[in-house]
Amino acid sequence: MDLLTVPFMRNVMLAGVLVALGLAPLSVYVVLRRIVFVGAAVAEISSAGVALAILFNLEPFPVALILTILTFLGFSRAADNPRLPLEALIGMLYAGGSAAAVLLIAKSPRGEGDILNVLFGNILTVPLPLLWMMVIAFGVVAAIQYLAAKEFLIVAYDPDMARALGIRVELWNTLFYVALGVAVAIAIRGVGALLAFTLLVAPGAAALSVVGSLRAAFVLATVIGVVATVVGIAGSYWLDLPTGPTIVGILAVLFGLSYLWAATRRA
Amino acid sequence: MPAELLRARGVALGYGGRTVLRNLDFTIERGDFLGVMGPNGSGKTTLLRAMLGLIKPLAGTMEWVAQNGGPPRIGYVPQRERLDPNFPLSALEVAVMGRFGKLGAMRRAGRADVEIALGCLTRVGMDRHAHSPYRSLSGGQQQRVLIARALAGEPDALLLDEPTNGMDIEAERAIMELLLDLQQTNATTILFVTHLLSAIQNFARRVALITRDGSLLIGPKGEILAPQSLARAYTEEI
Repeated sequence: MDLLTVPFMRNVMLAGVLVALGLAPLSVYVVLRRIVFVGAAVAEISSAGVALAILFNLEPFPVALILTILTFLGFSRAADNPRLPLEALIGMLYAGGSAAAVLLIAKSPRGEGDILNVLFGNILTVPLPLLWMMVIAFGVVAAIQYLAAKEFLIVAYDPDMARALGIRVELWNTLFYVALGVAVAIAIRGVGALLAFTLLVAPGAAALSVVGSLRAAFVLATVIGVVATVVGIAGSYWLDLPTGPTIVGILAVLFGLSYLWAATRRA
Repeated sequence: MPAELLRARGVALGYGGRTVLRNLDFTIERGDFLGVMGPNGSGKTTLLRAMLGLIKPLAGTMEWVAQNGGPPRIGYVPQRERLDPNFPLSALEVAVMGRFGKLGAMRRAGRADVEIALGCLTRVGMDRHAHSPYRSLSGGQQQRVLIARALAGEPDALLLDEPTNGMDIEAERAIMELLLDLQQTNATTILFVTHLLSAIQNFARRVALITRDGSLLIGPKGEILAPQSLARAYTEEI
């Protein structure tokens, strides 16, 4: 494949596959827990963090990451409150993050475009240190998902049963949301908000439409995420199209096909 | 004299500062077969959740009495409508969850756990459906799987929330006979919450009735189902 002989395209491919491997398995939980807009909320909170860092002349990415983790720590607590629907909580995180970002940018010595460049990565310009950060962060998140599979399953499926069994629901929810927050924040920094958000929803939604077991859903979601990313990068290179939207378009088509297939099977 | 399993003294229960149940003094004995009934919204599920430790009493103490050096193991069977049908789980995968409390953190269920869960599915007559999707089963079958899941934790007591809700009479009878069999064969204490008088009338040995003023009448079935007792819970004649 001639595109892999182009040095920067190797990084592009590596970044895309790493983000797909990191987010696609999480997407199964995100869809099942009905928190698909969490990715959009994280993007806004990250942007508030970047704006805050620039305002106080700090390193932007660590501040954005810490703010995201703190937000998810609070989110995991609030998510256990039966009186507060999760959709409302995610919506307020999105709105609050957006407002904070706009207000902080308004007082920032640098322009909005500059800040957005720092915040929203472009898959074509992923630096090598960020690639290493992705390897480590997504590796840790994948290991947590594997090791805590039974805890993540039961606290999502039947939290009352989990509590009755002595499983610490709040602790495992916190671990899940922090892992999710870290993965999404790094993915946004690497490949941009739109692609990260889509990889956090489409693979899981497509896989859950067509398979009848949770294990198969994790495998298929990962395959869908990786294949769409690789095909999207290659397609965008050969057809001279923007890379992120090409991958998003392929994921949307795969989701549509899986939805149609499931609907046909039900009919 | 039967050994005590659960002891409640001066208990008040409620949410957000609102007291739903008050002055609860009762004992559940080992091997009991107790039906909890009361009007809608009277606090039946609240009482069950307090027994499970999911909510703390506003006042008083509610404690499971230790035996042989350890606290009793409690199996919980929730209302099956509370479980999300989007999760693509087989009946066996649901039943294996009953073993999770016995495994350490981040330890996966092993072959022995799967064998125990399979044995519990056999016990409730669902072994043929072990690999069927849980969400494709009928209401009665799903209830049996949830009972198997609770049994997989090898409980001393089973607490069931509306176990026959939404079932026809035949399915209701099958589930209640299964519970009766578990109580008689395994000496498992059974406590079930229901709004269906038929399940109480036909199967409970003792009855706990939540009255309109938030107190609890508990005693033999004949005594609690007497018109003067029922009149304290229901405004219309049953």
